[in-house]
Amino acid sequence: MKKKSLSIAAIMFLLVFGLALNGSAEQGVTDTEIHIGQWSPQTGPAAPWGAVARGTDAYFKMINAEGGIHGRKIIHHYFDDGYNPAKTVAGVKQLQEDVGMFGWVSGVGTACGLAVKDYLMGRKIPWVGPSSGSSHWVDPPQKYLFNDYPLYSGDAQILVKVAAEKLGLKRIAITYQNDDYGKLGLAGARKQAAKEGLSLVAEIPMNVADTDMAPFVMELKKANADSVLMFIGVGQVARLIGTGKAMKFDPRWMTTTTCADAPLMIAITKGLFAGTIVANFGLFEPQVVGIGNTEDVNNPSHPVVKKYYEDAFKKFAAKEERWGLTFVAGMAYAEPMLEGLKRAGRDLTREKFVAAMETIKDFKGSMGRVSYGSFDPNDPHCRVGQTEIFASEVTADGKYKVLMDWTEMPYVKID
Amino acid sequence: MIDFLQMVLNGIAAGSSYALVGLGMVLIYKASEVPNFVQGEMALLPVFVAFMLLESYGVPPYMAFPITLIFAFFLGCFLEFAILRRAKDPNILGLIIITIGMEMILLGLVSWKFGADQRVMPFPISEYDSIAIGNLFISSLNMLTLVAALFIMLVLFLFFRYSKIGVAMKASQQNETAARLMGIKTKQVRMLTWGISAMVGTVAGLLLAPVIMEPFMMWNPMMKGFAGAVVGGMTSLPGAVIGAYIIGVIENLFGGYVSIEFKSVVAFAVIVLVLCVRPSGLFARHYVKKV
Repeated sequence: MKKKSLSIAAIMFLLVFGLALNGSAEQGVTDTEIHIGQWSPQTGPAAPWGAVARGTDAYFKMINAEGGIHGRKIIHHYFDDGYNPAKTVAGVKQLQEDVGMFGWVSGVGTACGLAVKDYLMGRKIPWVGPSSGSSHWVDPPQKYLFNDYPLYSGDAQILVKVAAEKLGLKRIAITYQNDDYGKLGLAGARKQAAKEGLSLVAEIPMNVADTDMAPFVMELKKANADSVLMFIGVGQVARLIGTGKAMKFDPRWMTTTTCADAPLMIAITKGLFAGTIVANFGLFEPQVVGIGNTEDVNNPSHPVVKKYYEDAFKKFAAKEERWGLTFVAGMAYAEPMLEGLKRAGRDLTREKFVAAMETIKDFKGSMGRVSYGSFDPNDPHCRVGQTEIFASEVTADGKYKVLMDWTEMPYVKID
Repeated sequence: MIDFLQMVLNGIAAGSSYALVGLGMVLIYKASEVPNFVQGEMALLPVFVAFMLLESYGVPPYMAFPITLIFAFFLGCFLEFAILRRAKDPNILGLIIITIGMEMILLGLVSWKFGADQRVMPFPISEYDSIAIGNLFISSLNMLTLVAALFIMLVLFLFFRYSKIGVAMKASQQNETAARLMGIKTKQVRMLTWGISAMVGTVAGLLLAPVIMEPFMMWNPMMKGFAGAVVGGMTSLPGAVIGAYIIGVIENLFGGYVSIEFKSVVAFAVIVLVLCVRPSGLFARHYVKKV
């Protein structure tokens, strides 16, 4: 009887103190570790974007090698969702409920992110830097969701601005992916065109599965477009420009940050991408490079990017990894999260982290300036993060010739 | 009028690659009575092998492409011999599942070995040059694809009509038991059919690869080739080719005159329509098995 009482007492003691101890620590945080999750397509149609997660991984390894954050190492858990939202949901739930993530970083794909947004927000789990410029991340804003990828509408705005103001082009057309990505680009293009006193001469939707570009080129030709914004996939951009060449249609091509990997695009178009205007959200500084001068991504002039090249890519990337825009972007998207973790201090909780993130103003990493504000459910700007973009022209040898300096692009609400 | 003709020409150009894939599918359907969902990947792996030969080993194209076709032939034979033939008393559903499984294995193999980045195959003909017929344009590569599709159809026609193996294949397809009783080694014949089918599909792959190469590059042509084969008739080689051209032309006309937004799905609406009106396809004979 005495033994039994002792056992019960011991169990009660463990339960009470165990729970108390557990209650004092945040999920995903131990004395020595912070667990961060990420999904990305390592296989499937969007697998080239898998480099984002590998870039983030190399970045966290670099941070850990430099001592971590307040004495804690970042344990990075990333999984392959194949760009399939059902797999994203399964993977996120498994990692969150079996391992316990403090928060989530990046995450490629609007549809994949949307599939888990409510799950993460409902549990008040921070998520920083979704890897797509969708308005869903900020409109309506979510307290625990911090965007840092410039919205696609901003890309379209700067491209139209360059076309109209810098190049004097007046017959601007857009071909856009028939989803959130493309439609946000369309909204931005329309807004900026109206500002320039123009209207788009053609607005042509394209499905992800479209591979035969001839009908699209015919429509663009019919509209007599002198410049074409391409809010479509990387492969489709290559096909469209190539088909245009074969059908003797040669406008000024322009495209978004998602298709702005100059060396890759030059390689897969066999040089036809040269002269294309692209939107940029960082990775080099237009003022450092100088307007009219060129930047070689393989010899970065940006001190932060140069450090990433030396200390993260060279030391921690796999041997067959390619140093390129997508890989570096994976580091850039995680920068504000690291800043938030630093500002939150050693006594880390999710609420402290969110409060720390809200103090970030004009933070400069390898992208443009990032700012957040106190949570206001009616103001997307408190979670937009970055609104600056600049523009460059791709050269025949896969470099970027800076055309326009950082330009503030106001948030555009999609209709 | 020029627009209409250009759309028809674009449709024929697009239909040519669908036709090559469709031909491969029909060959296997006639031999094994299974819609072959590994058709695209039976071309994908050889295409990446060709890329490796050209880029990594510096093999000249005139050698790399024949080696690739031989590799494709053996790959097709291997899949039939090592996997499909091992299935015990499979029904059609079981065979379809096996082909889907093989498709996923080959796709995974290519993704793992060659990575996901897009690339382009070095090719003797530029995919960006075009031939002008008045105000109409067709790219040189599309013209080559068109010629290849028609040439292969002709070769297959002659092969099935005049060669001993071709006649044996036809016999095995029409009545396997009777063919076996006549001394035809039907299993070997079926294996050969898979090999030939893989070669035909690989020609399509090699002609698509100069534009963009990536692990998923054969998915869309495979679906459209399948659509073309269903429209033309899964048991008719000329039917598969004509069906593929019908799909290509309808897609382009629909995109130009009705809705460019739904251009890529119209092929499947055509399938539904044809299956409702002529379940065997437009050019296939409808067989009824006596019981």
